[in-house]
Amino acid sequence: MNDFTIVLRSLRARWFSTVTTIITVAVAVALIIVLLTLRNSGKRSFERGAGDMHLLVSGEASSTVAVLNNIFYANPPRRPLMWDRFEQLQQQAPWQYAIPTAIGDSFRAFPVVATTPEFFSSFKPAPGEAWAFASGKAFGGDFEVVLGSAVARRTGLKIGNTLYLTHGWSKASQGLRTDGDVDNATHHVGTHDEHADHEAHGEHEEHADSEGGEGPGGTHIHREFGFKVVGVLAPTLTSHDRALFCSLQSSWIMHAQDRREAQAKGEVERTTPEQLIAEDKKITAALLRLLSREENSAPANLPQVFDQLRRDGTLTVANPSQEIGNLFSIIDQVNRVFLAIAVVVLVSSGISIMLALYNSMEQRRRQIAVLRVLGASQGRIFNLTLVECAIIGLAGAIVGVVLAFVGASLASGVVRQRFGLIIEPDIGPTIIIVLLAATTVLACVSGLVPAIMAYQTSVARNLRPAA
Amino acid sequence: MADLALDVTRLVFTYRRTTDDGVQPFTLRVHELDLQRGEQVLLTAASGTGKTTLLNLIAGIIDPDEGTVRVAGKTMHAAFGAERDSLRGRSIGMIFQTFHLLTGFSAIENVMAALLMTGVPEREHRGRAKALLDRLGIARIDGRIEEMSTGQQQRVAVARALVCEPALVLADEPTASLDPENAMGAMDLIQQVCKEKNAALLCVSHDPSMPMRFERKATLASLAVTGVLTGAVSGAGLGAGLGAGVGTGTGIGGTR
Repeated sequence: MNDFTIVLRSLRARWFSTVTTIITVAVAVALIIVLLTLRNSGKRSFERGAGDMHLLVSGEASSTVAVLNNIFYANPPRRPLMWDRFEQLQQQAPWQYAIPTAIGDSFRAFPVVATTPEFFSSFKPAPGEAWAFASGKAFGGDFEVVLGSAVARRTGLKIGNTLYLTHGWSKASQGLRTDGDVDNATHHVGTHDEHADHEAHGEHEEHADSEGGEGPGGTHIHREFGFKVVGVLAPTLTSHDRALFCSLQSSWIMHAQDRREAQAKGEVERTTPEQLIAEDKKITAALLRLLSREENSAPANLPQVFDQLRRDGTLTVANPSQEIGNLFSIIDQVNRVFLAIAVVVLVSSGISIMLALYNSMEQRRRQIAVLRVLGASQGRIFNLTLVECAIIGLAGAIVGVVLAFVGASLASGVVRQRFGLIIEPDIGPTIIIVLLAATTVLACVSGLVPAIMAYQTSVARNLRPAA
Repeated sequence: MADLALDVTRLVFTYRRTTDDGVQPFTLRVHELDLQRGEQVLLTAASGTGKTTLLNLIAGIIDPDEGTVRVAGKTMHAAFGAERDSLRGRSIGMIFQTFHLLTGFSAIENVMAALLMTGVPEREHRGRAKALLDRLGIARIDGRIEEMSTGQQQRVAVARALVCEPALVLADEPTASLDPENAMGAMDLIQQVCKEKNAALLCVSHDPSMPMRFERKATLASLAVTGVLTGAVSGAGLGAGLGAGVGTGTGIGGTR
């Protein structure tokens, strides 16, 4: 039996009021933590996903869309570049690497990135962090595929499995299995643009009739080219975790097959690399990094190269870091509004603590008077009331932290599902300690009025039988 | 003087009292009141004539206009704030008409609360509280107080008043909430335990069955006039004294 027991008994005596007040505080604290951590981890995820590239070149309408579609797989890119333009690009600056990518097809709505082996050997998904394989290795030839960690986890596919790709992707069906997409069907990797072209010319239906079937959302599965899983990537905490990777030539061959069948108006033999023509060789972006002495800093010639490339009106040149910064400066405005709302909610929860104790003061006066008769000083009564508020605040903050973990997990799942961004809830100990302390202090401040009332409680008046 | 539990001298307190004629000033006077440790005194008066006010003055809950109150040799109103609260907690046990137990607490916690407020080492709390509750026949010491019978609650209240082994116990209408049978048992218990603990008992009541239980009795009026408790006062005398005090409406023992 100590002062803490007295406080706990007092809280228990008004358990409904105590619990509802704690919940109010918890919701406010959780809201603040979720907003702060999602903002931080979201930005970090964006920054990580851009990796160590300096520039992204594509045919997209805007640089922001180019970054979102080609790095974060928000939507299939719509404007491809021809391979010969990429070859010119390779000569335009002293690149450390220039890596082509073609995005447009999917497997169970996970995007498929057709690229070159340099994607794994030269490009780093996060600054200073090279790719790591959980199992297997990078693709070495055509019709081999590497799975991002989230894809492997969600699909259960393993090294040695064969899978079949789908034109386009439907996010609503992400992860859902489609009949015949593993082991016994044929697939295509191609740009979304080409897929749209096929449909426009009625070729889509021909493929469906002759070779394949319908995938989720009406997308078309081609069952001519099976892809063998040769590697599974370790998690990178970037958007790449939810992608599959195959060789660029595999993608071109599949689309050349489409073209040839369309031209022949019927089935043709399996396309070989030698049968590829210039029209087949399309990419959707080029990831570029200039030669640089320091790994994490931009080289001095970056602005000049950037300007030089932008002079070509057919190209959209994006500096991913800058685009992400711009994006977050916009999001930050919204975040500030949300944070302000969360702070208001926290302050109002402090007011609710004050009201809860203020309203219960009439019931408490007799108990306070009794404690005074037993020898408790006014100061002790004041402190007991403040400790009661502090416990409500602290308990609310702790519950809020737990709620925040759950809420952030749910929110990150929604963001991953809706926007293709992998945002891991990351609640640092500093935020937790600061919020616990701030909430407790706020609760104590809120308790000042009830504590003063308790301090001033008249013993004689409240010990009358009628009281 | 070492065994003097209570020494009230020339106490004067004026306050505003609500009567049928409205709010009027009322002066409470006590010329002199001494109680030795172990001594038991009954103070009677009609309702609303200042009995509880006197107890509050003695307990240091309110300050007199004049006069001194010494409890166990310490001048109550010379101490202020926490010092006075501590003196009250250590030296005075109070028993109330409606018990004023702490709801939500167990029986033993109610008793231990008194020890907590008076600086008794924590390791002694449970043992002392349990021993006294055992003595008073409370078996379910961890039972919640609001789930206990009125008689059990009364005994817990007695235990709480005496657990700190105070020099003085102030009992304010301790049997008013009890039926006659339970009232008798409760008073037997209070008087007996006060004797055992060598605590002086000042019992305030207007229960007509009370005077026969006490060798020493007084009315507020008699305290104001004679100020000395030197033996039994007859029931007729009590009644006369009360009548005079209340009837004047200007205070007991004259106006200020």
